[in-house]
Amino acid sequence: MKARVGRPFAGLAAAAVLTLLAWADPRIPLERPVFRYLFVLDITQSMNARDYHLEGLPADRLGFAKAAIRRAITDLPCGSQAGLGLFTTQNVELLFEPLEVCRHAGVIEDVLEHVDWRMAWAADSFIAQGLNAALRIVKKRDPAPRLVFLSDGQQTPEDPVRPELKIKPGEVQGLIVGVGDVKPVPIPRLDRENRPLGFWEKADILAPVTTTAYLDASADTSHRRGNDGSLYLSWLHETELRDFADTAGLGYLRLDTPEGLSLALRDPALGELRVVPTGIGWTLALIAWLLVIWPHLVPDPRARHVSG
Amino acid sequence: MSFGFVSPWWLLLGAGALLPWLRPGQPAVDYSSLAMMPEDRLSVAIDRGLRALTSLALAALAAGIAGPYALEQWEERLGTGAHIVLLMDRSSSMNENFSGRYLGGTAGESKNAVARRLLADFVRRRGDDLFAMVAFSAAPRYVMPLTQDREAVLAAIDSVGDRGHGITNIAPGLAMALDFFNGRPATGARIILLVSDGATRIEEESQDMIRQWFQDSQSRLYWIYLRSTNSAPLDRPPTGASDDASPEYLLHRYFQSLGVPYTAYEATNPRAVEEAIADIGRLANQPLRYLEKVPRKDLSGWCYGCALILLLPLLAAKSLEVHAW
Repeated sequence: MKARVGRPFAGLAAAAVLTLLAWADPRIPLERPVFRYLFVLDITQSMNARDYHLEGLPADRLGFAKAAIRRAITDLPCGSQAGLGLFTTQNVELLFEPLEVCRHAGVIEDVLEHVDWRMAWAADSFIAQGLNAALRIVKKRDPAPRLVFLSDGQQTPEDPVRPELKIKPGEVQGLIVGVGDVKPVPIPRLDRENRPLGFWEKADILAPVTTTAYLDASADTSHRRGNDGSLYLSWLHETELRDFADTAGLGYLRLDTPEGLSLALRDPALGELRVVPTGIGWTLALIAWLLVIWPHLVPDPRARHVSG
Repeated sequence: MSFGFVSPWWLLLGAGALLPWLRPGQPAVDYSSLAMMPEDRLSVAIDRGLRALTSLALAALAAGIAGPYALEQWEERLGTGAHIVLLMDRSSSMNENFSGRYLGGTAGESKNAVARRLLADFVRRRGDDLFAMVAFSAAPRYVMPLTQDREAVLAAIDSVGDRGHGITNIAPGLAMALDFFNGRPATGARIILLVSDGATRIEEESQDMIRQWFQDSQSRLYWIYLRSTNSAPLDRPPTGASDDASPEYLLHRYFQSLGVPYTAYEATNPRAVEEAIADIGRLANQPLRYLEKVPRKDLSGWCYGCALILLLPLLAAKSLEVHAW
């Protein structure tokens, strides 16, 4: 009888062709949610406090926040953008404007890795003013990115009057991310080479601290009044951060795991629909998979099984 | 190096790889008396081989669909131009007005704004160079690694338009900028392009250290000096005896004593940047191989490639299949 190239052969051939196409990594323009974030990272010294205890991740708040940002950026779909800024004292300074996350992934990650508390140009920490500065910077950009403000909310020195946020709710969208734990921990005091010098004591903080990595004012002991020798403790000031978030119309998230931040930042409500080249290789591969497995799932009805 | 999957749930498809072992993929053919057929080891081996191929192909496809990627990869790049570290003054004095004009800007513009345009202009016109960026005020900030990613460097320069904060502390900035050349083969001209309004003193101790580093790395220093309305040109010696009379002048003198090529350009001169670009163009460069970090490398192509290699012999076998006697 005549040998014919049957349906099973055609199926398998189609599977091979689809696999070849998938290998070529085809991309077609599709409308997808993409994100545009400006990450502002608190680099004051309370962020050196170590209150994270997750396997394989840094224990200090700054290191943990960096790892979380890195994870979140890698998980963003291509076409999304991420910029990076630093907060200390009352100001925010950007390192770079939002960049596309896939093409510039190497550079973004390298810069993020080098963020360090020693980059601070002054040592105090006025959260409300910092947040105001961040909001101002975001508002100035057109189109405005979403703000992701990562901080432990630690105010140093304590401010009896909390300043107002100069923002109408909803004017800027984004997220305040609380970094750290609500249980108080001491703040490591490090020198310019990152060697530990012990912990910050209350007495050091009574007067405004002006010691940064490059400005040493600790020699000035005139403010060491009322030193009871106790450590200056720091914890995540969640109520304050939540209040700020409510006032500014921002979301609030406590940073527990890097996955948590990554998930929150892929919330479609924070994204915008834009036409971006989208990889469809996996769909082609899926069809190929179905074609290969089909003969095993559904026996050819025309053939009878032979017993014995 | 660690691996991950974009959508790990698709790995469940890999369970389909078991199916070829449970059920044959070929339609059965009627034969009058199977008992008469002798046992054929070759046939059994071929059958197993085909099942194994199908099974592996299914697994490879499933792995590819799940989107595997490798983290922390380094990719080799080839750079041909000069290596330029942009050292940008971000102190609060840079918010003051600039005394000259640059590219049709007004005299009332802040030094930040002028510096931003000047640097962007410079980077756009030096096509093959590698750029890094360091910002400094009281402390230095690592802004960009040495990279050919022009778009990223421009995004960093763009953010210079915001207000700067803190005092000018130039020595740590220079140290960080010089650190970019530390431990790399010197294949091209190494340039530190300082954009600053000066106004700073370097301590004796740091002076010697920085001089040493400059000489060790054989870097050149170009200083684009943004003069304030009330400060003096660089080459005018101070009239008074006081050290503070003109810190810019002292810094200029110090730079001249570095023992490496040094040029100062005053941004009041509209040709300053042209001159700087032309000067750099005259320097000889050899290509440099360097490693750039690729945080996430897609590996699904490998899976699809494997699947394809496995599918081709299956396809050949399928074409040889007998459908009826």
